[in-house]
Amino acid sequence: MSHLLDRLNFLQSNKLEEFANGHGQVTNEDRGWEDTYRNRWRHDKVVRSTHGVNCTGSCSWKIYVKSGIVTWETQQTDYPRTRPDLPNHEPRGCARGASYSWYLYSANRVKNPLIRGRLMKMWREMRKTKTPIEAWTAIQSDPILRKSYTSKRGSGGFVRATWDEATEITAAANAYTAKTYGPDRIFGFSPIPAMSMVSYAAGSRYLSLMGGVCMSFYDWYCDLPPASPMTWGEQTDVPESADWYNSSYLLLWGSNVPQTRTPDAHFYTEVRYKGTKSAVICPDYSEASKFADVWLNAKQGTDAALAMAFGHVILREFHIDRQAEYFEDYCRKYSDMPMLVRLEDKDGSLVPGRFLRADDLDGKLGEENNPEWKTVAIAEDSSTLVSPNGAIGYRWGEKGEWNLEEKADGKDAKLQMSLILDDHHDEVRGVDFPYFGGAATEAFTTGDKRPDVLTKNIPVKRIKTADGEVLVATVFDLFCANYGVDRGLGGDWVATSYDEDVPGTPKWAEKITGVPADKIAHVAREFAETAEKTHGKSMIIIGAAMNHWYHMDMNYRGVINMLVMCGCVGQSGGGWAHYVGQEKLRPQTGWQPLAFALDWGRPPRHMNSTSAWYAHTDQWRYETLEAGEILSPTAPDGDWDISLIDYNIRAERMGWLPSAPQLKTNPLEVAKQAKAAGMEIPAYVAQQLKSGELEMACEDPDDPANWPRNLFVWRSNLLGSSGKGHEYFLKHLLGTDHGVLGKDLGEEGRALPKEAKWHDKGPEGKLDLLVTIDFRMSTTAVYADIVLPTASWYEKDDMNTSDMHPFIHPLQAAVDPAYESKSDFEIFKAIAKKVQEVAPEILGKETDIVALPLLHDMPAEIAQDQVRDWKKGECDLIPGKTAPAYIPVERDYTAIYDRFTALGPLMDKLGNGGKGITWNTQEEIDGLAALNGVKLDGAAEGRPKIETAIDACEVILMLAPETNGNVAVKAWEALSENTGREHAHLAEGEHHQKIRFHDIAAQPRKIISSPTWSGIESEKVSYNAGYTNVHELIPWRTLTGRQQLYQDHLWMRAFGEGFMSYRPPVDLKTITKDVQDDGDNLVLNFITPHQKWGIHSTYSDNLLMLTLNRGGPVIWISENDAKAGGIVDNDWVELYNVNGALTARAVVSQRIKDGTTFMYHAQEKIVNTPGSEKTGHRGGIHNSVTRAVLKPTHMIGGYAQQSYGFNYYGTVGCNRDEFVVVRKMKKVDWLDREATKAEAAE
Amino acid sequence: MTQAMDRTLKALSLVLSYPTRALQQAMPEIGGVLASDTRLTAAARRALRPLIEELGGRDIYDLQETYVGLFDRSRTLSLNLFEHVHGESRDRGGAMVSLVETYRDAGFDPVTSELPDHLPMLLEFLSTRPFVEAQETLADAAHILEALNARLARRESSYGAVFAALCQLAGAKADKDAVAELLEEPDVDPDDLEALDKVWEESEVRFGPDPGAGCPQVRDMLARMDTPVNPAPGSAPVAAE
Repeated sequence: MSHLLDRLNFLQSNKLEEFANGHGQVTNEDRGWEDTYRNRWRHDKVVRSTHGVNCTGSCSWKIYVKSGIVTWETQQTDYPRTRPDLPNHEPRGCARGASYSWYLYSANRVKNPLIRGRLMKMWREMRKTKTPIEAWTAIQSDPILRKSYTSKRGSGGFVRATWDEATEITAAANAYTAKTYGPDRIFGFSPIPAMSMVSYAAGSRYLSLMGGVCMSFYDWYCDLPPASPMTWGEQTDVPESADWYNSSYLLLWGSNVPQTRTPDAHFYTEVRYKGTKSAVICPDYSEASKFADVWLNAKQGTDAALAMAFGHVILREFHIDRQAEYFEDYCRKYSDMPMLVRLEDKDGSLVPGRFLRADDLDGKLGEENNPEWKTVAIAEDSSTLVSPNGAIGYRWGEKGEWNLEEKADGKDAKLQMSLILDDHHDEVRGVDFPYFGGAATEAFTTGDKRPDVLTKNIPVKRIKTADGEVLVATVFDLFCANYGVDRGLGGDWVATSYDEDVPGTPKWAEKITGVPADKIAHVAREFAETAEKTHGKSMIIIGAAMNHWYHMDMNYRGVINMLVMCGCVGQSGGGWAHYVGQEKLRPQTGWQPLAFALDWGRPPRHMNSTSAWYAHTDQWRYETLEAGEILSPTAPDGDWDISLIDYNIRAERMGWLPSAPQLKTNPLEVAKQAKAAGMEIPAYVAQQLKSGELEMACEDPDDPANWPRNLFVWRSNLLGSSGKGHEYFLKHLLGTDHGVLGKDLGEEGRALPKEAKWHDKGPEGKLDLLVTIDFRMSTTAVYADIVLPTASWYEKDDMNTSDMHPFIHPLQAAVDPAYESKSDFEIFKAIAKKVQEVAPEILGKETDIVALPLLHDMPAEIAQDQVRDWKKGECDLIPGKTAPAYIPVERDYTAIYDRFTALGPLMDKLGNGGKGITWNTQEEIDGLAALNGVKLDGAAEGRPKIETAIDACEVILMLAPETNGNVAVKAWEALSENTGREHAHLAEGEHHQKIRFHDIAAQPRKIISSPTWSGIESEKVSYNAGYTNVHELIPWRTLTGRQQLYQDHLWMRAFGEGFMSYRPPVDLKTITKDVQDDGDNLVLNFITPHQKWGIHSTYSDNLLMLTLNRGGPVIWISENDAKAGGIVDNDWVELYNVNGALTARAVVSQRIKDGTTFMYHAQEKIVNTPGSEKTGHRGGIHNSVTRAVLKPTHMIGGYAQQSYGFNYYGTVGCNRDEFVVVRKMKKVDWLDREATKAEAAE
Repeated sequence: MTQAMDRTLKALSLVLSYPTRALQQAMPEIGGVLASDTRLTAAARRALRPLIEELGGRDIYDLQETYVGLFDRSRTLSLNLFEHVHGESRDRGGAMVSLVETYRDAGFDPVTSELPDHLPMLLEFLSTRPFVEAQETLADAAHILEALNARLARRESSYGAVFAALCQLAGAKADKDAVAELLEEPDVDPDDLEALDKVWEESEVRFGPDPGAGCPQVRDMLARMDTPVNPAPGSAPVAAE
């Protein structure tokens, strides 16, 4: 209907009514036009969801849906309130998140299941006459057929498939692999469960039921700071962002809060209005630097030197010249500083050795239980040796004394920190400390000519032990000497003034870091002074940057030392805030049974990814770093001259690290052999390993029997983002075109590994099948054999938690998954169903043997107080003690689907738990049966259903203490038994609190305090890590039970990391004469920070983001370096070294420090990347020029906090020590021509 | 009201669909329809022949690989029309709602998992409408059709002919500026270096002599934000009511 007829065009009535004293006027105009706007913003429903990417935001969004289509979304602002005097959490949700929501309808989405055309054609041909298993067997048995599709990975050639076909091929491949090689050749990689925990759990549950391998992510991403488990026995625990507001001094160290923690940054801004000061340490002029009151632009990779100088000042002014009462009291109670260390003889000199243990003493101080795991200190009042409560020996085998009360043997015992007073020590002796500062490479050297061993004077005491007299010193006294603080004991290498250039002083650090000494002293003083006045409210927010160096532990331990010296850990507003890698899955203990199918069989197969990829992508074949280069000059005698993979093999053999695959022989076969031999499985495996009949797979990673055969990648872009050594993945794991430029050890004529078997030619194309599950065509999808389209964030039901706020947040299916996509839960359910159909042809009920390393938080964590290798005859092979445990697990390949979709009976039998405590959970299982209903038939008849993603969410919420008050109370009570202290008051009043999926759909809910975490949720304090250790006197889960600043494991001492010190970046020797072209003289340190134009570390192929960020890959370089390389802004440049090459545009900026180049994380090669002149292939990703390098200290196991845990401890994928050649490209080739005849003929 | 189906539009919908064996078998019939429609010039009909022959005769796996490579994998060749109009802007949701409501008002419900702006779906819908109305809608999308034609031509793909034919049926000349603008859009294919360079270009920063002029980037950005968003082709009739 037209409005034209009703409307006056030329005239207006002058008889309008007025009201409100002439301020208002009544008009008779037609208002139909308003309907346009009303209709425009009309919607059918609003659904709460979030962007479940690798981002700590967990921001609440309102999704508006009209006619089944998402029309727009806005930020939700209804977070639960905080408390008086604390700003609220909202608004959260950044522009990047908002821009990514349109991925839903993006042309980048994968619409249908895709399969490599050549594989599809073969498959359909075979299936005309063969069963699925026969068809897959036929393809795999014919090397030509197999190679016809594996060698084409990454070169397009996909066709659409039906779900039925795609799942059938996958199921057949998995079943064939389990039968032929063993289920532990089926790998699955998915990161960051916290971002969508049910989607993660779907895949890991399927893998665990099959006996497949779940691969870790936190260590592989190098987001795991091993310093945290070393010091606290805790993977990572941090304050929520709201606690920044309680801080009085904020030190941002390598963290770029405004750029990478956008929704939380407001707390940082707000607290500055309260007067909180902020110092920022960052080599480049980052976004965060602009917020700084003081900006310290330390040279990249030298943070440990800076930390050491900070520590030197704090010790001098607050512990030595004056003893700040709060600090001293804190360190005595909560750190290992009072513990005694044995000084051991090394070629006539003394070096710090093991902690003195009760076991060393005559009479063992009366400790019958685990005396070798109870450390010793001196009680101040009685001057006698005591074994204080809380050491790890008290955790296992007895109850009631595993706590931090100032007691020993039932009596009060105030521990003595120092033997400095004349009547406290017997003599002053020189003790050797390693010094690595002189070993810097060209880019980091300061011309330091100091010796590699520094002898410093220490007050020591003579003590009688069972095997004679020994000298001991306290950790504190050694610690001060290590920092170069002169305490009037004479001798060299200590300083009284900050201006002396002695290792540890600000002057010394100035030379290395470039930060002026007076600024260092100033910041250290302010940091400590604030902490003293506020009892610990100084905080360090630390970024991933510092953790990505080979010697990351030195950086991190330097920082942690500062916090412990100043009593900041465990105090609201203080402590260590490492927001990296989104590790915090809050309802963890409820999620684990679902995720790892602990309800059907235990243990699951967990693998540390770094070691696995290092071995299986053959990066070890190119290792340039020799153990001798990182070994300490003070190392105890030993067989240290082996290669890095050899260390890893020893670690696996001794049960320190997990293995995947585990045995060279199929474990299903080994179980049969054991049965035939009439032996128990552990005994049989031990016997066969000793005789050499059985071999561990790790000893020969290149033997076809030991290759991973099937790989699932879901929720991840392994090849486009996190795959360090990208080109090695392409060459060896996938067997396709690659850009590896260097030669392997054999070709180079370098020393070969001693333990790992060497094959002259490295295998290419180990994987039979790569299945990528994603909603977009990522780099990993491009290389896959099968791509399965999955639901995006507004198309599935799931849950999301973050370390940045204490809420549990839903993802909800606002609309059905677009095109043919399905949620991850439905995809794995469908695969499980197919397996149940096709596998029985070759597999039935089988006994599998799982090799389990010595786990942290389990009794096995105190298995090895000495390092002994059974293969060298140093001890007997005792499974679970001197080697991995070998545990039979029953699999039923005829019931994979039935088991997948129901909660199994093991929960009833074994209960639930985590972090060393267990509780009965029958009530919750009954509750789930009532809530979800039970299976009416099949192999899981009578068990609670898990048929939908919401069912799965309810399992997590019901079983977890964080979301079920009843469980929280049980969990605290279970912990009370160990500590002998009452903790249940922390969950008081929460008994009947039950959070369900529909509750969080209505509003995100704050979780309940639980012993899984070291902080609490309360009306009085914000969540902060270490809170319950300090305030509830629950020990840290370390050897000493305290924050452990001295690490006494043999390998820690051998590699010179008993104490922290500055270690310059290592020399990876990646720019060889062979690879470097004449005239290419610009060599820069290659850094890969997180970007502004992608969510955290995720996708950069979004058009909006690309438009803001120059539309393709870029690197940043300084003006001076650009000039030297003849490069101007926006030029195409090529970066290369032996690992490979990449191409990008140059951004020339004053922001960057000379000598470095930045390439933001995860810029993909599917977007605007031309060919590399160096490799002749399309330019690589940021990881094309990197290679993973292992560190032996990360392999330690069976030793209290240094024991394996999934994503808790293990080798990490560092990549910052890398250097690249940067050159301007002569010609930009987009490789867009037709394939040449030769290529086409292939 | 029932409307006789426009078999040419339906045929074009089919040839733009994912190639299957059924499609291959139907190609002689489809080819016949396209060859006999005099609304298309002889040249346009001739231009369609290679595609018809390919679809009828080539190995189905090759055809499917080509199709996936072109239309599923290349954003700039997306058959979802709004990709070219709205990209990843929030207007896309609203535009799709209008389009699906247009289908519903005409008595149809979408039954596949394709989104409403999927070109073969739109063509099928238009094949049920009076030709004048179909022409009007196609004319609205002419600049997109023209741009896709140009991009496919650059790749020497026989699919280009379909878009040329659609342009002819639309009867209207595509707005040259609009086509040029689309072709200047950031191209995810690495073919189009010049277009890519354009995207990379930033306006020059000038300091003084006119400090009141402000930051050129902000000025440009504001100017862009003031530009009205293009109407979605399918929603145009609704808005006109």
